[in-house]
Amino acid sequence: MIFSLISCSDSILDITPQDRISDDSVWSDENLINAYHTELYNCILHGFNGVHMQSKATDEANNCMSWGVNIIVNGTLSPDNVTDLTVTDWHGGCNLYYWNKAYKYIRKINLFLEKMETITIADQAKLVAEAKFLRAYIYFQLIERFGGVPIVNQTYELGTDVTFTSSTFDECVNFIDQDLTDAIATDELPDSYAATDTEFGRATKDACLALRSRVYLYAASALFDTDTNGKSTVKWQKAADAAKAVIDRNAYTLYADYRKCFILPSGSANSEVIFSRNFTTNNGHNAPMYNLGRRYGAYGGFSASNGPSQNLVDDYDMLNGETPFIWVNGVKTSNPASGYDPQHPYWNRDPRLDATVIRDSTVYRGDLHEMWIASDGNSWGYDSYKQSSDNPRGNYLIKKFMPEADMEISWNTTCTIPWPIFRLGEIYLNYAEAEFELGDETTCREYINKVRARVGMPGLPSTVTGETLRQRLYNERRIELAFEEHRYWDVRRWKIAMDIENRPIYGMDVIKNLTTGVKTYTPVKLLERTFTEQNYLLPIATDEIKKNGGSLLQSVTWRE
Amino acid sequence: MKKKSKYSDGIFPPLKKLLMIMKLCFILLLLSLLQVSAEVYGQNTLLSLKMQNATIAEVFDRIEDQTDFYFFYNRDEFNDKEIVNVDFTNKSIHGILDEILVGKLLAYKIIGNNILIKVKDPLENETLQQGSLSGKVTDPSGAPLPGVTVVVKGSVRGSITDSEGRYSLANVSSDAILVFSFVGMGTQEIPVAGRPVINISMTEELVGLEEVVAVGYGTQKKETLTGSVVNVAGEELKKSPAPNVSSSLSGRLPGLIVNQRSGEPGRDDPSILIRGYGTFDSDPDDGIDNSSPLIIIDGVERSYMSRLNPEDIESISVLKDASAAIYGARAANGVILITTRKGAVGKPVFNFSFNSAFQHPTKVPDMLDAATFAEVYNEGYWYRSGRPASDYTPFYTDAVIQKYRDGSDPVLYPNTDWIKEVMKPYSMQNRMNFQVAGGTENVKYLLSFGTMTQNGGYRHNPTDYEQYNLRSNVDIQLNKNLSIGANVNAIIIDKKYANVETWINFNNIIIANPTLVARYPNGLIGPGRLGENPLVLDQRGYDRTRETPINSTFTASYKIPFVKGLRIDGSFNYDVNNTFEKVLEKPYYYYEYNVNTQEYEKKEGTGQTTIEVTDTYNKWTTMLYNYKLVYDRTFGKHHVGAMVGQEQQKNTWSYVMAYRKNFVSSAIAEINVGSTASDDKNNGGSSSETARNNYFGRFNYDYSSKYLAEFVFRYDGSQNFPEGKRYGFFPAGSVGWRLSEEPFFRGALPYVDQLKLRFSLGQTGNDKVASYQYMQSYSFGNNYVFGASDVPGIYSNTMPNPDITWERSTKWDLGLDASLWKGLLGLELTVFNEKRSDILATRNLSIPGTLGFADLPDENIGKVDNHGFELKLSHRNTIDKLVYRIEGNMSFAKSKIVYMDETPATEAYANQTGHPVNAGLYYKADGIFNTQEELDDYPHASGTQIGDLKILDLNGDEEIDSDDQYRFGYTATPQIVFGLNASFEYKNIDLSLFFQGQTKAYHYDGQFVALGTSDFDNAFVARAKDRWTVDNPNGTMPRTDAYQPGNSTFFLYDATFVRLKTAELGYTLPKVIASKAGLSDVRVYVSGFNLLTWAKEIKWEDPELSGDALYYPQQRVINLGINVKF
Repeated sequence: MIFSLISCSDSILDITPQDRISDDSVWSDENLINAYHTELYNCILHGFNGVHMQSKATDEANNCMSWGVNIIVNGTLSPDNVTDLTVTDWHGGCNLYYWNKAYKYIRKINLFLEKMETITIADQAKLVAEAKFLRAYIYFQLIERFGGVPIVNQTYELGTDVTFTSSTFDECVNFIDQDLTDAIATDELPDSYAATDTEFGRATKDACLALRSRVYLYAASALFDTDTNGKSTVKWQKAADAAKAVIDRNAYTLYADYRKCFILPSGSANSEVIFSRNFTTNNGHNAPMYNLGRRYGAYGGFSASNGPSQNLVDDYDMLNGETPFIWVNGVKTSNPASGYDPQHPYWNRDPRLDATVIRDSTVYRGDLHEMWIASDGNSWGYDSYKQSSDNPRGNYLIKKFMPEADMEISWNTTCTIPWPIFRLGEIYLNYAEAEFELGDETTCREYINKVRARVGMPGLPSTVTGETLRQRLYNERRIELAFEEHRYWDVRRWKIAMDIENRPIYGMDVIKNLTTGVKTYTPVKLLERTFTEQNYLLPIATDEIKKNGGSLLQSVTWRE
Repeated sequence: MKKKSKYSDGIFPPLKKLLMIMKLCFILLLLSLLQVSAEVYGQNTLLSLKMQNATIAEVFDRIEDQTDFYFFYNRDEFNDKEIVNVDFTNKSIHGILDEILVGKLLAYKIIGNNILIKVKDPLENETLQQGSLSGKVTDPSGAPLPGVTVVVKGSVRGSITDSEGRYSLANVSSDAILVFSFVGMGTQEIPVAGRPVINISMTEELVGLEEVVAVGYGTQKKETLTGSVVNVAGEELKKSPAPNVSSSLSGRLPGLIVNQRSGEPGRDDPSILIRGYGTFDSDPDDGIDNSSPLIIIDGVERSYMSRLNPEDIESISVLKDASAAIYGARAANGVILITTRKGAVGKPVFNFSFNSAFQHPTKVPDMLDAATFAEVYNEGYWYRSGRPASDYTPFYTDAVIQKYRDGSDPVLYPNTDWIKEVMKPYSMQNRMNFQVAGGTENVKYLLSFGTMTQNGGYRHNPTDYEQYNLRSNVDIQLNKNLSIGANVNAIIIDKKYANVETWINFNNIIIANPTLVARYPNGLIGPGRLGENPLVLDQRGYDRTRETPINSTFTASYKIPFVKGLRIDGSFNYDVNNTFEKVLEKPYYYYEYNVNTQEYEKKEGTGQTTIEVTDTYNKWTTMLYNYKLVYDRTFGKHHVGAMVGQEQQKNTWSYVMAYRKNFVSSAIAEINVGSTASDDKNNGGSSSETARNNYFGRFNYDYSSKYLAEFVFRYDGSQNFPEGKRYGFFPAGSVGWRLSEEPFFRGALPYVDQLKLRFSLGQTGNDKVASYQYMQSYSFGNNYVFGASDVPGIYSNTMPNPDITWERSTKWDLGLDASLWKGLLGLELTVFNEKRSDILATRNLSIPGTLGFADLPDENIGKVDNHGFELKLSHRNTIDKLVYRIEGNMSFAKSKIVYMDETPATEAYANQTGHPVNAGLYYKADGIFNTQEELDDYPHASGTQIGDLKILDLNGDEEIDSDDQYRFGYTATPQIVFGLNASFEYKNIDLSLFFQGQTKAYHYDGQFVALGTSDFDNAFVARAKDRWTVDNPNGTMPRTDAYQPGNSTFFLYDATFVRLKTAELGYTLPKVIASKAGLSDVRVYVSGFNLLTWAKEIKWEDPELSGDALYYPQQRVINLGINVKF
């Protein structure tokens, strides 16, 4: 009968899955091992996640949305809600709470390293070196967020009864340094790949050196060098040496066009970039649609929440090299020597302003952006917040990373502009900062001036010294590296956040007299912000502390 | 007086004609569906035919073979044994039929190429044959009852009563027994005993007494049932005009918790739980709902329960207790058994019904108007700027707010009611069913065809739903011992939706900023929220899915000749479901008014710049066979039943996807027309297989139907688990005692018709978790980009758990069923207790993230207790001509997590352990900080301002942090659900009312909480009303942009409601009139669904929601219908 057609045995339950690969096949097939290794690179963060850039957590932009990173801005961050900042969170994690993702990738890397002790494959040493670079990268991401964290350098099986204790910040730095040293020492990593190379984006010796430069710079900074409060010459010397090691490779030059440097599609030649996260159309991002305004059907940063702040715009120098404003003890006054005209605020400014920010009268993608409102309030420019809530209230849009008209933008066109991680401009400024702290102000100014010269800005004269030089140094970093996920960390490691992060965020009202055509400019306060000492570090989530059964202590600033 | 034959001219010739046409349409439809050649065969075509000693049926068969004519006749209606000799050459069909039917009691009619053969009314003949028998059948009120089937028992001979209730039969032996049957009436067997005239009165079938209930691999008489099984007849479900069968179940069956959370056509399947949550889902995101019951349709686990044609459903039974153990590993959450209708012995009964309904949302939320919205937003804006006392420009100036208020400038300062703009006042729903059922002792059949169409409730949105149900159910008695059957069901579902997800669409409707233009006064459509005006959805393309599940069941039953009571039953089932989805995305346009040029500029929406098509094809198959040995015999007062069987099942799934973009035009939305550039196309595919193997059995014993005992078991194997852990044994036993059968009891309490005590105990399993968790595996994905190309990656799936095995549920049930005073009072009470152990859950809650594990596997670590009761009371009575029935039911189920792997909270009141499954964590709110003093006097989280909620410092540590959250005792799943069904019949009028409700459920709507936080999120009127402001310091709602450290009880609302779920008022045409029109039954009715709702607290939206308000609202349906039988 019918039944005889079907076998009647229990073997019916022995099914080999069609949609997945077994553990044994993975570790016995070189292609699959390579695929496993490739996937490790996903630990690398980029700033084009979902709809929110990290600038919203800083004084670079006006964040007016109610979720996610808002807890940083309004000062309600706590161990209870820090997981709202999960890096993968589309809703505004802004690359901040990296804990879980970091340790997931650390385990993946540790597993890889353990397997490599028993398996032999082609390019093994190179793959191991890359993995160590990645582990160093992850640990650096962790320590800049939390200070000292647990060092996990082996894999544990499910069911292992183990809890963790944080190592000190310095122990973590040593661990990172050891991984970088090992990676470089294998001598299997190439010094560098050209940005046009198909392998670009893999770890190189230079990427290791660049990472080390940043690690040492942070380690020497006031926030982390708690013993000497940032005054340790030994640490600053290491930072200076590490930066110099990259510079001395002479393999990179500042890309001549500052604007273009950040809008070249992945795979384009770029002499400045040491390491970046690249994209393809299938594996790309939608940053333009999330950050531009209604004119392009974009979301203005969603809730128009990534509009650059007046605070940032004010910090661009005048073309004559002077700052338009002077800050003394948290009080801002205008600098008469600068020639800044509050009614023509964008005249004669550092060219990086127009390369970074779209403001009223900017021509971008061939479109004249109009953020004005008529004095009678009955008509307005198309890019004004009155036209649409997708246009930021502060009347500025981000231009950095936003493509020119040669690249199509729409919700169904992904963007392949890469996310820069290490570039020569940063290394120059790392070096300048380390030399400043070591007392070599001449070298400091020299390297600041190299960065300024690229955009045609006059160098800082030798009269700029001491604390003034420090301010200019800090400001140069703010301007040069704007929106590249440096500001959040810099104001913290310099320990100036109690001042900076408590300043309200301003925007600019542009009122146009329709009869005369004259526009008047009035800064407008948009957002109160709150920053307290404990916010210098991110707290570890309450749950994670509890799960470790008392052995894992809260980040230092969050201990009671 | 000469009687008129059934098909002669009656008093409603036009109606008769209409019915004839409908009947034929139906027949033709079936024929065309069966792909029979429909070439018209001329009535003038000449035939040649030569047959010797043939029956008339054989002659008909031969004519069918030779021609395209089809005969429709009921073999009961003419003497099949009559032998004829035919010899025709080149004769027309008329000529042949006239000749062979001469002198027979048969008439014919040719319609197209169909030939209907019918019995002439015997009374038309002047003389009755010798030995004949006649009589009249009446209904309980004494009125003639036409259409009653009268069969001579043990033969195929029979007749049907005419419009006067009369019948006659020829050549009936005096010791024969006549069987009278009629739908809804009790079948009667009357011995002829030599009488020439037998008049009888049919009585209404007493539902509930002789009721037979499906219990899984068999049926049982309700009176001797020992398990906790509830059932509802398909007749009841038909009364609900809901487009979805499952939602009609809500409140009908005690123990079943049905919550409909959406009203979107084709996407309105409710969530169904039996006795609430007995387990917990530690990974709600894995797409596996591990709490849902097993749904068995005609013996096989099948989906599309909601999409069945309600007319095809014979009954739905729910196995709630351990008796479900016969389904072993999948039974822990209870089992729903659906049995579809079959044909019954009798003339073909055609049943036609047509329903047309209006539907509209039960409740749409009241959102803020533009002026209030602007005021509210201004408040939030002011708070965010630090509440400056001076030097401050509001976001919306007073002049602007005035314009919103007075509507003087609808172009620039509109006041848009988005819901009104986008949602239609009502949409249509139509249902048409055509069913024919009948049969002889040898062949019984039911063919059914139904259609349902439902329009979307939006304007300019392609939403549209069409469903076709086809069923053919045939049972054939091949010989004395062998019978076979085939039950084939196909559903064709065409769903058309916008290519924008519904929740996004409702974001753009419900919380769209009322200060945005939906449509300019000149009719042009504006951009809407984020440029995604729902009014342009019809321009943007569609998401169209065609699903065609086909279920087939073939059965065979063989009575083993030498052992009385023993038979072998087998079934083979093959189900296949193909779904094809086509998503078309097109550029679209809207208009935007330019304040400077004062022109309406046409803008291309940015969602889409090219035409794109994505086709996805999914195929699922299930092959299942089972066979069972069944023994059923009575030895004196001992009744013994036994059944053992084996079942094996294999499921497959495969899918492919193809995508292209840059189509030149959307005129042909087919993949091959798209761009061939490699960057413009993509494809994908995957497949999987699952299997099961098991052995099961049932043993019954009863003594004199008084002492009852049953044992069931299943030895079940699931490929979800590793070898050695695959098989589980799930036994259950139950006993019953029918006290009412005891002589001493009868004597003492004669008014008790039925009293039964029952108890069951047993173990069932649950394996609803992802497969292959026992092995470490990797999947392709997480590619990374090096240079300018994607490099493939692989990532590890869940960590392996080599010990993974069944989740087990141990339950006992204690029940009492009673019927008193001949049905005046019925009572069913069941108390249950369930202990779920080895619950498959992940350790996410306790394992430090620092370990860096990939997703954790399920482990057998949880324990949940669940207990409750179900009560059903019924009352049935007849007062004069009023027949009425009232039935109420209530169920209570409450779960408690006994053990779950969670990190112990600092404060015990926050643990999940000890609380109901899915209980949420909330801060306890105690009003509002109305003044600065109140704020200063009490601990509060940083960020709290005046006008915010006062959160209680539960642990008294002078700080508000997560340790002040407590586990709330209720969830969105009600602990108590109830239903009340009342039906009345008075003469030809019937009325039924069905109320349903829930209580002990709470709901938190995050969308309701939000007020004035963003410029494109509108808020609820109920939220904004009486909010705290500087000018309203005693406001009862928190301020705009209110801060709370987490979800608080302030916004947790009691989701208690009572609904008039369905109501139906019908009128049945008097049988006399109906039969004169050639019909046996005509009923017209109006009915409604979700008619009235009373909600305790949630009055601003439908209280049955889940999640937030951004969903397609539940529908109220007002329906008009007609049902015709002939």
